[in-house]
Amino acid sequence: MSHLVVENLRLAYPNAADHGGFLALEDVNFQIGDGEFVTIVGPSGCGKSTLLMLIAALLKPNTGSISLNGTPVATPGPDRALVFQDFALLPWRTVLKNVELGLELKGMGAEERHEVARKYVSMVGLRAFENHYPHQLSGGMRQRVGIARALSVAPEILLMDEPFGALDAQIRQVMGSELLRIWERDRKTILFVTHDIDEAIYLADRVIVMSASPGRVVREIKIPLPRPRGLDIRNSPEFAAFRHEIWTLLEEQVRSSGSWEQSE
Amino acid sequence: MTLAIGTTRRPALSLRRAARPVIGTAAVASFLILWQIVGANEIIRSDLISYPSEIAETFVAMSLSGELGRNVLATLGEFVQGFIPACLFGIACGLAFALSRRLRYLTAPLFAALYSAPMIAFVPIIVVWFGVGRDSKIAMVFLAGVVPIIINTATGVNEVSESWVRAVRAFGAGKWQIITKAILPGALPAVMAGIRLGVGRAIVSLVAAEMYVSILGIGRLIQVYSNSGRAAEIFVLVGVVSVFGLGCVMALRSLERYLAPWRAER
Amino acid sequence: MRSLSDKTERFLLGTLGVVALFVFWEYAANHNIINVAVTTSPSRIVVAFVAQWQSGDLLGDLRVSLGEFAVGFLLSLVIGVALGIAMGMSRMVEYATDPFIWFLYSAPLIALYPLIVVWLGFGYTTVVAVTFLLTVVSIIVNTMAGVHSVEPVLVRAVQAFGGNYRAVVTKVILPASVPLIVAGVRIGLGRALLGVVLGEMFSSNAGLGFRVSYYAGRLRTADVFVALIVLILIGLATDQLCKQIEARLQAWRA
Repeated sequence: MSHLVVENLRLAYPNAADHGGFLALEDVNFQIGDGEFVTIVGPSGCGKSTLLMLIAALLKPNTGSISLNGTPVATPGPDRALVFQDFALLPWRTVLKNVELGLELKGMGAEERHEVARKYVSMVGLRAFENHYPHQLSGGMRQRVGIARALSVAPEILLMDEPFGALDAQIRQVMGSELLRIWERDRKTILFVTHDIDEAIYLADRVIVMSASPGRVVREIKIPLPRPRGLDIRNSPEFAAFRHEIWTLLEEQVRSSGSWEQSE
Repeated sequence: MTLAIGTTRRPALSLRRAARPVIGTAAVASFLILWQIVGANEIIRSDLISYPSEIAETFVAMSLSGELGRNVLATLGEFVQGFIPACLFGIACGLAFALSRRLRYLTAPLFAALYSAPMIAFVPIIVVWFGVGRDSKIAMVFLAGVVPIIINTATGVNEVSESWVRAVRAFGAGKWQIITKAILPGALPAVMAGIRLGVGRAIVSLVAAEMYVSILGIGRLIQVYSNSGRAAEIFVLVGVVSVFGLGCVMALRSLERYLAPWRAER
Repeated sequence: MRSLSDKTERFLLGTLGVVALFVFWEYAANHNIINVAVTTSPSRIVVAFVAQWQSGDLLGDLRVSLGEFAVGFLLSLVIGVALGIAMGMSRMVEYATDPFIWFLYSAPLIALYPLIVVWLGFGYTTVVAVTFLLTVVSIIVNTMAGVHSVEPVLVRAVQAFGGNYRAVVTKVILPASVPLIVAGVRIGLGRALLGVVLGEMFSSNAGLGFRVSYYAGRLRTADVFVALIVLILIGLATDQLCKQIEARLQAWRA
């Protein structure tokens, strides 16, 4: 019951002087099962964000295919909801109106989408802030709006592009456990990109480790830690073992290809 | 620079750089050629729209006869005599307004009125006051130019960062030194913006005043040729006024670069 | 004065400034410090205002000027926003139109007005055309800047949820550009009023701009000031209106 299937994906930026004819992704293959929480971790420039843009169909691959529930992915659509690293909230809309955006684009009537949006605003705990503008919210609260907006369109899969990357370390951990709490309810399929190894292990059923230039899948690691997971699970020996395994894989990359997490 | 809409990536940098001048030049060239064809072949009456080659010939003729030079010099003289006092007075006045809140509040409505009023409506009354000669033109340039300089200087000084003033004061600067070492340099960009605004308003008001009544000047020439319905001459004069405005803008820009080299502006 | 709030102090001092100016003016005129025939005085302006009001002249001029102002301005708003968005979204359109826009922006259109008179004749049409030309450029330029200021990630967000080209324009580009468009409108309104006065002064026989020059030619300085003050008030009122709109738009801006 594979849900999302990615096959032989290749993407090169052909003429870009700023990319130097850069090969972003090559021969990328993986599958995600229904209701699975998969994280992708890799060094800067491994094309992990590009990969999400391809799945969202905001970019087109040179070769290879992506299919969701057996249907090839061709155009952007609400069946794959994106959560952006820099939130991408419309600053002139209130929290509630921001969550309504996807529903509006689906063509839902005003009254119904108002109701649906409120439900998701409550789910992420922002009921009291539904009439606030984004600039009145903290970073963590803004990303909650981003998550509510993505969930509200009832997507088949949630694509999260370093959603907590712009947040402080403390808030980041809290947001991670919040995300798990929401996910435990209906076990929506999630593909989550990060460069934080702990975050990748903590959230995932399975971690996909990628290499840089060109981006390739190096290894897939199952994380059979019990759920629900508390924040203290990071101190367990099993967790440490996974951390060590992934760190070793990535360390080779960093040694061979330069720095860890520059600007992507 | 331009918003990349859609799913495609931006084209290569070099291509983008080249596209602007190439497409821009092509558009202007085709416009001029079309104008030439339509005008020279009388597809539209050429006394109404003229055409580029006729305008060029007219320009040469007007320059050689000395008509252009004489009038440009007259306008230039009026401009300089009105605008330099406007700068000096405007900066001093703006500084005073910035440093005294009471004075600022006292004069605020008057300056707001002068700022949002259409300047050329003052031309007739200025002519009544200063006569039909050069004085009324100089007064008009001063009046139109001084208002934005005052307002921008006052705002600019007000927005000078407290921390600069504190830094200068920490090293024992007195009131005068605070003004010359922190406030004026800090407010310079705003002052220059005010001067630029003032130049635009002053040129329009000057030409309008000359058109309204005068003995010499570009505005008077425009009026003369418009009465005899000569499109080519008027286009020449439009060009002259444009070049005049452009020259002012460029002069200001190099002045700003000289006065404020630390500002990496375009 | 210390105990007054800043706002009250501003208001009181501002009123005081205006009143003081008028009192001084009146005093100087009545005591032959200045020449009344040339400078007139506030009381004479009030008398002239009442006379113009009762004869219906003022209302007629106001109607003409405001009519031309409204038509010229609305035309430039609609065309300016449409063109500005097209230029902002398409590099081809931008590059091709840029030199012309730049010329219109920097060339003193006042020099061009005699030709417009030749093309469109004396009166209403010319005034509207001059107003339009003066106004439209600032709206185009600002709208384009507004479109350029849109963060690409917001466009991507709408596309990611399946929004088409139209949705991108109506849900992101247009609302994101509104603050800069309003700033352009504010500049444009000032230029539109200038256009009306310019057109009326040199090529019409009606309206406040025409009156300013007509009365001045007959040395009726009090009447000149009536028209002038009404023009200043129109300028102030439209500017204040724009300020209010701008302030309201600040709600969503940090």
